[in-house]
Amino acid sequence: MSDFANEFLLAVAVVLIINAFLCLYRAAAGPTIQDRIVGINIVNTKTMVVLLILSTFLGEELYLDIALAYALLNFVVTITISRYIET
Amino acid sequence: MSNVVKDTLTVIFGLTGVLFFIGGTVGLLRCPDLYSRLHPATKCDTVGSISITVALALQIGLDMALFKILVVIFLLLMTSAPSGHAIGRSAFMNGVMPWHKKGVVPWPLEGGDRWTGH
Repeated sequence: MSDFANEFLLAVAVVLIINAFLCLYRAAAGPTIQDRIVGINIVNTKTMVVLLILSTFLGEELYLDIALAYALLNFVVTITISRYIET
Repeated sequence: MSNVVKDTLTVIFGLTGVLFFIGGTVGLLRCPDLYSRLHPATKCDTVGSISITVALALQIGLDMALFKILVVIFLLLMTSAPSGHAIGRSAFMNGVMPWHKKGVVPWPLEGGDRWTGH
């Protein structure tokens, strides 16, 4: 992997982390429970993408498995909570 | 594929993904109610993350890691839309009112006494 692509992907990861912190506002201050679930869902997706970028940047293949587990966990958590609070 | 072509494609896909993620954040913070917030949220879940993942896959090349990244893309396509639907359905069943003008009922329902707007 070239030097330029490495630095570009790292910059993308930094932008994504800033975005995730902005999304936490909706999770903290959402008027309904569903707003909080949407905020947490997006933060989880961004974390997963940052993990994927880190695995390419550092050359650690283990992070890919962690990202895979993270995506599955994200799906299960969202479906479970939203079906649970559905009256 | 030469290195320059690969880098150019990586930059194009990465910038598309970042654009969609920023749009998702702005929509999540600025839209008036839950149902309109779900729309940018699911968009940035699918398009943004998949294009960034494609940029990564271009950089990796043929490897075992490429297979795992393809699995992640498949998983994102399968799971993002159903979770958005489940959140919207739970909000609808709980009686979350859509954003509307004062005095206008957004949809007529049988026994709609529970829809208490403004």
